[in-house]
Amino acid sequence: MTTTTVPSTADTHAPPGPWAVETHGLTKRFGDNVAVNDVELLVPRGCAFGYLGPNGAGKTTLIRVLLGLTHADAGTMSLLGHRVPRHRDAALARVGAIVDEPRFHGHLTGRQNLKILAAAREPAARGRIGPALERVGIAHRADDKVAKYSMGMRQRLGVAACLLGDPQLLILDEPMNGLDPAGMREMRDMILSLVAEGRTVVLSSHLLDEVERTCDAVAIVDRGKVIRQGPISQLLAGASLEVQVECSEPGRAATVLGATSLGAGVAVGPEGLGVTLPAGTGRDVVAEINRVLVTGGIAVYRLQVLQASLESWFLQVTSRLGEAP
Amino acid sequence: MTTVSDLGTPPPPPHPAPSGPAVAPPDHRGRWIPTGTMITTRMMELRKRRGLMIALILVTVGIPTVFLVIRLLMHAFAPKTYGPAGGYQIYTALVSGVLYVFGFIVAATLGATAGSSDLTEGMFRHLVVTGRSRLALYLARIPAGLAIVVPLVAVGFTIVCAVCVFAAPTRLEFNGVNVPVGVSRAGLESWAADHADEVICNFGVRLGPSTPDVSTLNAVLNSVPCGNGPPGSPVNVTQGPGPQGQPQVSQAQITEAARLIAASNYSDYARQFLYPSDTLMIKSGLWLELEATIGLIVGLGLGSLLGQRTVAVILMIVLEIILTPILSRARIPHLSNLQRAVVGLATAHLAPGGLPVLGGGGGGPGGNGGNAALLPESTTVAVCVIVAWLVGWTVLGAWRMMTRDA
Repeated sequence: MTTTTVPSTADTHAPPGPWAVETHGLTKRFGDNVAVNDVELLVPRGCAFGYLGPNGAGKTTLIRVLLGLTHADAGTMSLLGHRVPRHRDAALARVGAIVDEPRFHGHLTGRQNLKILAAAREPAARGRIGPALERVGIAHRADDKVAKYSMGMRQRLGVAACLLGDPQLLILDEPMNGLDPAGMREMRDMILSLVAEGRTVVLSSHLLDEVERTCDAVAIVDRGKVIRQGPISQLLAGASLEVQVECSEPGRAATVLGATSLGAGVAVGPEGLGVTLPAGTGRDVVAEINRVLVTGGIAVYRLQVLQASLESWFLQVTSRLGEAP
Repeated sequence: MTTVSDLGTPPPPPHPAPSGPAVAPPDHRGRWIPTGTMITTRMMELRKRRGLMIALILVTVGIPTVFLVIRLLMHAFAPKTYGPAGGYQIYTALVSGVLYVFGFIVAATLGATAGSSDLTEGMFRHLVVTGRSRLALYLARIPAGLAIVVPLVAVGFTIVCAVCVFAAPTRLEFNGVNVPVGVSRAGLESWAADHADEVICNFGVRLGPSTPDVSTLNAVLNSVPCGNGPPGSPVNVTQGPGPQGQPQVSQAQITEAARLIAASNYSDYARQFLYPSDTLMIKSGLWLELEATIGLIVGLGLGSLLGQRTVAVILMIVLEIILTPILSRARIPHLSNLQRAVVGLATAHLAPGGLPVLGGGGGGPGGNGGNAALLPESTTVAVCVIVAWLVGWTVLGAWRMMTRDA
């Protein structure tokens, strides 16, 4: 993707306020199934925000409700400070979104599809078609029919469609789908560049590694409810501490550590002894583990504190939910 | 229980958040009126459907063109066997039998496509996310569709008019006799006096109670030799024959009888033309465009309501080809008012005089026989029915579009 910049008015048209997206008690039901369950979501402006959850957690449904693609059964919401659905037109004027797999008129070219979408926006949107196509890297295929596009190219065209409105807020639902590794990297760079321009990007994905690399804050949704949200650094600070120990007698080491009052969970695996310490454990506990083992006559070859990742934290959170009655 | 961390204050964004004035510039995307650009791009979307456009052109322009070209060629190669390609009767047949029916179906197909394509092809969601009024998105399709279907019908109609006028017969044949064109009653009587034998032998005789001297007329009919048959044999006398043994008739009596017969046929003759008049063509053109407009708007509403094209098109064809002819002619007790609500019946009642309606099955050429076979309906009621269909289907289609989950 190139670094062409879409002419920006991202900092001029919205009412002030700290939140790009704000929902309170938002609920959406399909019959007995509660797809969005009393969601309280606060997305700060000017950041990349990940919206994470397993399949069927209600991510796409929440996005559809936010965008007015379907109505909410309860709750309030606002986009860029505009209450929706009451001021939906004003809110969506500066919102770009991809929901689900982006689909277009296959018999038209990419450029013609964008013309249709630009016509539904303000007159200036027509002038953004070329730069948007350049920015997402499909300008050379812009005059080919969309029916001939790959999935990845349609994703890029979807992002180009988002850029037509010079959005302050972009909501991208699984934007990495269909992209090859190079395409994913380009998409990541583009998202970061959009954020650098002062725009807010909400990224719905289950690709945790990509989200961790791209986003500043996340919300975890499961079974329609937001169960955690906040800056990634804060959330990971609440994750348990993993320590990998390579020693002479892993089995005995597990027994020795289990008998202490460290509160550690111990497991012996092919890579050695794995020790899980509760969240908030200080680094001195790592030294205590080493002392206990050496005192017990066990030779310690390596002792490594594993950096908590979004993936491991996500799995911890969701596994706890799974264990809940 | 939802656990939300740090809800009170937002985390500091890594980049400066945009902070702008509270007042947004005027943006009228919430208005229900579509912009010109929306209409032109929608028209482009429809026009770029190559398969659909080819089918529409073939049906609207191709069918009458092929028919007329074949007639032109046949007449050119065997003029004595095949009559001229154009003329009044060909015009009425093509307008009411082809353009009327197929124009409606073509327009309905285009409307159903316009009403459902965004949904089936995934563009509806993109359009809704722009924040543009859904009503405006719907209404933009009406002028866009009309901008395609009206010229299409106009082209087909123009071809029919051109051929029917410029390749019209040069002589008017009435009851197998070449007669002068466009003469008055007195003129026809005068011409009949000069061609008494042809008139007496070929024209139908319609005697009424006011016909003077029926016995003399019958004597004339029985005395004039017509071809190889007995005197007066081809003549269809609708009143009882005169007494046998008529005296020999004079030439003056024969001439007078021919005048009388010509006068009795004048009303039929007056509806015979070599080619359609300018007035009839203008009225027919407007009538065809009205029918196409109805087809487009109903098809659009139905397509939007159903969310798919195929079923909508099938239903429209069934309405036009099957239901409308049946409901327009059948006399169903207690349901006549319901029958009058059929839009095809209403448009048939608005057909210009001189056109057989509803597929040409209703009446003879040159008359209002088609209307006579239809369930009676006043012009006011017909107009109301048409307006109700246009408004009703627009409301239905727009309502569905505004309430549909995207």
